[in-house]
Amino acid sequence: MATESWLTKFPEMERADLVAIRKGLDESYRAFSRTYGDAIESVFNPLLKFLVWFENLLLASPWWLVIAVVVALVYGASRSWKLSLGVIGSFMLIGYFGMWENTMRTMSIITVCTLLSIFMGIPIGIAMARSDKTRAVVTPILDIMQTMPAFVYLIPVVMLLGIGKVPGVIAVVIYAIPPVIRLTNLGIRLVDKEVLEAATAFGANSSQRLWGVQLPLAMPTIMAGINQTIMMALAMVVIASMIGVKGLGQPVLKSITNQYFTMGLFNGLAIVALAIIFDRVSQAYAKRTQRHLGGTQNG
Amino acid sequence: MMANVDKFILKNGYGCAAELVPGDTMPTGTSMIEKGEPDIAPELWSNSLKDAIDKGVAEKRLRIAGKSLADGGEEGFWVPKYMVEKDPSLATIAGIRKNAKMFKHPEDPTKSGFYTCPAGWNCQISAGNLFKALKLSDDGFELVDPGSGAGLSGAIAKAYERKQPWFGYYWAPTSVLGKYEMVKVDFGSGINKDEYMKCTSSADCETPKVTMYPPSLVETVTTESFAKRAPGAYEYLTKRAFKNAQMNKLLAWMEDNQADGQVAAEYFLKNNEATWMEWLSPDATAKVKKALAAL
Repeated sequence: MATESWLTKFPEMERADLVAIRKGLDESYRAFSRTYGDAIESVFNPLLKFLVWFENLLLASPWWLVIAVVVALVYGASRSWKLSLGVIGSFMLIGYFGMWENTMRTMSIITVCTLLSIFMGIPIGIAMARSDKTRAVVTPILDIMQTMPAFVYLIPVVMLLGIGKVPGVIAVVIYAIPPVIRLTNLGIRLVDKEVLEAATAFGANSSQRLWGVQLPLAMPTIMAGINQTIMMALAMVVIASMIGVKGLGQPVLKSITNQYFTMGLFNGLAIVALAIIFDRVSQAYAKRTQRHLGGTQNG
Repeated sequence: MMANVDKFILKNGYGCAAELVPGDTMPTGTSMIEKGEPDIAPELWSNSLKDAIDKGVAEKRLRIAGKSLADGGEEGFWVPKYMVEKDPSLATIAGIRKNAKMFKHPEDPTKSGFYTCPAGWNCQISAGNLFKALKLSDDGFELVDPGSGAGLSGAIAKAYERKQPWFGYYWAPTSVLGKYEMVKVDFGSGINKDEYMKCTSSADCETPKVTMYPPSLVETVTTESFAKRAPGAYEYLTKRAFKNAQMNKLLAWMEDNQADGQVAAEYFLKNNEATWMEWLSPDATAKVKKALAAL
């Protein structure tokens, strides 16, 4: 032992101390979950009720009605027959290959996750754009959210809230929200200073500047963020199914363990189809609203 | 843990360059049969891919070296011990039925939830068949798929920390059951091994009957080429077998000390010399002892 010094071997902590720290933190987390678990669970209860209700709604409605409503939404947003026909086609294929129920489950949870991410993300992005201090605090948090392996926080969340939809939504939102925050911030910051000065010169106050100038001009960037958020939310479907979220992720997991390649591929393609539908619709909608906006600007 | 013991002994006692490759039952077994890699699966719950292994042995690609758990693994439907202490009837399926309302479904409080085995695992089939055979859905139970092993143990941990009711499938010896004491629910049917092999464990079982889980074989499986290449090491693997009680004690020690497999293996080798000396040739024993002393 005499030959070992701190030069040859990293001066690491005593194993016993390290274990004491790990056990201490684990214990305090357990105590926290024992004391506040039920209270926190009841906070999320309305969300759970809504999720279950929405899923049952999609599952109980006849399939042609669901397709009709989705296509109506698609056409309303994009005014494109081609896109609408594509959506009908892909839903027909999904249904024909027996993935209808799981697709509905995934669609319901992803819709909720995306809406939650957008409604929480855009205000945070605006706050970040308006204050450098906020940005300095939020940016590292976003870095953590994007890189921390999902299982690190999944299991503590399961201990707190049990398995099922709510922890799934939390996990998906944590992973999917950063792009919309980042790109909202970026988009607003990229708005031309001179345009803002002009607005100020016309007597616009700060909220008029935000709603009338900054947000509309930042829209293309924000939409890119929303697009990324949707894609990342769908990518998390499989991870979410590892804590008991039903949907397309479960057959994917099943096919991994049993090596049913085709089954995995089919369900993976259904996830991709959903992602493309969500994305094309939101992009088409954004383009349409911006075309009109661009017109007034140039005129 | 077992793999770490093997690694230490193979490396120091038999001069093998041993490397651990973590893997689930199914992918590991398939890879060994198809690709001849890795060489050793020290702890394979072989019931779950019995057909594939039998085929591998028949085609001379695999060899079953011996049992890794002398008593076999234990599967079953479990409830936490604190519930049985309050109401001993909960250790039987009749008691569970009577109190079905207690075991709330996580997403729908009007139903009862039974935590089944994660999707795609072989035990999902047997647990599902037994669920059907016991007609638990008549009592308001629904299958809750935890999605993964981590999800299942997380659900147990959550229930245990808050002393909530929990009813589901699990297996032992595992660190989860070492840490959270559970009682196996008695179906009152005894073990019907033929029925289990023929029907309960098969996806095509149409009218499953009630049976308790027979002890599952937990075996050490090696590739044929390894057995030929390293007969000494192979012989060690044929002798090496842990007793369940020993395993549970070790797992509990690991839990208490948050030890990983490597530390636990060293702990085991240092403290259970008599046990492992029986498994080794005298020459290898001396070498392992020397390596242990150098730790």
